[in-house]
Amino acid sequence: MEDAARPWRAFYGPHVRPEIEAASHRTLPDLIGGVAETYRSAPAFTCVLPNGMNGTLSFAQVDEMSDALAIYLREVAGLGAGDRVAVQMPNALGFPVAAFAVFKAGCVLVNVNPLYTAEEMAKQFEDAEPHALIIIDMYADKVPIATRGHPIPNIIVTRVAEFFPSMPRGIVGLVQKYWDKSVAPIELPHIRLPDAIAAGRAHRARDHVEVSDYSAHLEPDDIAVLQYTGGTTGVSKGAMLSHKNLILNMEQTFELVEGLEKGKEIALTALPLYHIFAFTVNLLGFWALGGRNLLIPNPRPLGNLRRAFENYRITWMSGVNTLFNGLANEVWFLDTPPRHLKFASAGGMALQAAVAERWEEITGKPLLQGYGLTETAPVLTFNPLGKTRAGSIGVPVPSTEIVCLDEAGHPVPQGEAGEIAARGPQVMKGYWRRPDETAKVMRGDWFLTGDIGVMDADGYIRIVDRKKDMVVVSGFNVYPNEIEDCLVTHPGVLEAAVIGVPDDASGEAVKAFIVAHDTGLTQADIRAHCKEHLTAYKIPKTVEFRDALPKSNVGKILRKDLRAAELARTAAE
Amino acid sequence: MVGAFEQALLAAMIFVIMLGMGASLTPRDFWLALKRPQGLIIGVVSQYGFMPFIGFAMAVTLDLPEPIAIGLLIVSCMPGGTTSNIFTYFSKGNLALSVLMTVTSTVFGVVLIPIVLLIYASALDLTIPRENIIATLVVLLIPVAIGMTLRKLNANIGAVTEFMGSALALFFIAFIAISWVPRNWQFLLDTTPATYFAAIMLGVFGIVIGYAFARILRLHPRNARTVALETGIQNAPLAIAIIALTFSGEEQQGIIAVGALYSLFIVITSTIVTLIFRRANTAAEQKLPDSLL
Repeated sequence: MEDAARPWRAFYGPHVRPEIEAASHRTLPDLIGGVAETYRSAPAFTCVLPNGMNGTLSFAQVDEMSDALAIYLREVAGLGAGDRVAVQMPNALGFPVAAFAVFKAGCVLVNVNPLYTAEEMAKQFEDAEPHALIIIDMYADKVPIATRGHPIPNIIVTRVAEFFPSMPRGIVGLVQKYWDKSVAPIELPHIRLPDAIAAGRAHRARDHVEVSDYSAHLEPDDIAVLQYTGGTTGVSKGAMLSHKNLILNMEQTFELVEGLEKGKEIALTALPLYHIFAFTVNLLGFWALGGRNLLIPNPRPLGNLRRAFENYRITWMSGVNTLFNGLANEVWFLDTPPRHLKFASAGGMALQAAVAERWEEITGKPLLQGYGLTETAPVLTFNPLGKTRAGSIGVPVPSTEIVCLDEAGHPVPQGEAGEIAARGPQVMKGYWRRPDETAKVMRGDWFLTGDIGVMDADGYIRIVDRKKDMVVVSGFNVYPNEIEDCLVTHPGVLEAAVIGVPDDASGEAVKAFIVAHDTGLTQADIRAHCKEHLTAYKIPKTVEFRDALPKSNVGKILRKDLRAAELARTAAE
Repeated sequence: MVGAFEQALLAAMIFVIMLGMGASLTPRDFWLALKRPQGLIIGVVSQYGFMPFIGFAMAVTLDLPEPIAIGLLIVSCMPGGTTSNIFTYFSKGNLALSVLMTVTSTVFGVVLIPIVLLIYASALDLTIPRENIIATLVVLLIPVAIGMTLRKLNANIGAVTEFMGSALALFFIAFIAISWVPRNWQFLLDTTPATYFAAIMLGVFGIVIGYAFARILRLHPRNARTVALETGIQNAPLAIAIIALTFSGEEQQGIIAVGALYSLFIVITSTIVTLIFRRANTAAEQKLPDSLL
């Protein structure tokens, strides 16, 4: 494509490379080791608990421990190159050690949501067939049931306060055991993470193994991570992300981010690292930057973040709409907004303009929205600093092409809505053992996102909606996001979700689900509010008030659940 | 009533507890409470406006023996006690505000206690022991400052100190409630229902009125809970010291009884109120998605 077809490049800063020809490192083990060489004793990860207790690992410590664990995986546990290793834990110091060890061992990382039920775990294990599982003790009681279908020979158990100084570690352990009762006994044979590391060290001393041998054969296109996603079709499947996908995506993203200084930043990582957004941007991105990552095991309730904000000079945070909105409603956060924050980045779900505005009002710093999918490792677009556009997901990151396609797969005229398709080095290799599913989303080397977007003449993109969420009211396309954005501007509305429901007159009708601040709110109030801002066909025909909305583990409102419940209800009537 | 050794032990415990409380605070918390002094002003008004009046009203309306009525009035005119900080901590209130309110009411107490006592019991000639007031401030402020410094130096040491302090505080509350009863068994048997009522309700009315007042003036619920506890919880040991210095013999024993009885029941009342406040605090928390964000 010619430059004329990439008008967004005009918004790149003077130091931004429009094309990233080659990644700084060929593989993740190269990157991890190389960075550790530079920053040695600087703090890399600090896990901060709600009461302020914390543990820190330096770059050198993470490097050495992950070396030892890699040796354990290969020499003691007997794993081979390309074997899968499942890692299932909330944000804790064990996460970077485990993930980096898997890469160094030449194995493939499978991120597993720690809150999964045993059945959900079983499904993922049967699909990914991991040879080892590194799991947090709090959820290890689910393992016996989860591994019935696919037994996992090696189970390594870690804990929240892993690698903390002994006193806080002991207190946290006692509190978890006797007060929270959140740690259940583990019935399967297992080894503790520090013991596995010690075993790896002992092996290294005895047999003089070179860790680098495990990854020497790795190619940039080899699979690094199996990242599970429902994707556009809802079937859970593993996106195969290569070393190159991840390294380049991190570099593409940070290429657009100005003002961060190597070795000086402190990032708040409240989003779970098992999610691709925090994995690429926070875990890999801030490691590469020599920054310090504050790992928050559980940001719920949001008061759990308070000590982290009080005790550290946080310069960057990434989050989702729910997190920013939540913080903007916390009294302590309003009283003492972070003073050293440079900016924050939002992804994972649509950032509502009202939330972004309020955030910037409180912190005085921009909230930059990006966009991407698990299948694209994940970042495709980002708002350049100082050139943010409200309601826009920004412009494509370097080395990325984006077009909007019509139903037939042809580019739509500029300014019209179409399905966003993307091409670039961050696009996955395909879904693990699912060529059928891969075929549904790939057109040559173009990836179909399933999101409907509009690109402005200068390259800024707005997401109109998910393809499958669009409501057709008497032939007019209604995008739920637009209606929800309008609903949440009503002062009495806390959260809103909009779906289409079958309607005799209009084919489909708009239905809104609302979580209200004040209980006096009525359907008439809501409709009157919408009437001021929206065309008639977009106004919700019915409004249902609820105490809560169904949400995914990243806080996305699950319209499909609302739709399913609604269909079941109408079918029953 | 309490021996010198026990007093020293209690002071040492309070010191360690306040060290832990201090470790949960930052200078910014104090700065914020000072920046918006409404809470502080409401607290002092509540402390020296409502409490003495509640005490006076009960002394007049209830059928109390004269020494008990005098004791009740004195307790009701006391500044906030250190215990209020502990209960504020456990009720997840605004601890910095609580500490500042205790300090303010104690410092102003030097002038205000004689004034309110003069208003409600014109003839009283009391000795206000300044050294006790200074001791209260020292036992409060020095460990809080040290605790904050510890946290600043090392977040882990701060968090461990806070944990130890709060664990000791729970022990301290249980210790006061449990050890008090056997020591004063005979006294409990001899006390009349009206005296019981006065000793219990002084704290209850203080908490309820303090809360209502703060809420009417649109203080945030968290700060209102803090004002409530601060108002209801008096510095009973100071009252006991004042009485011991001012009165003697039989008369002293009678007057001091209310202070002692109040000390027991305020711990029980505050524990119940703290549990209610904690619940209210949890209910007011934002509901976020079931799993991690």
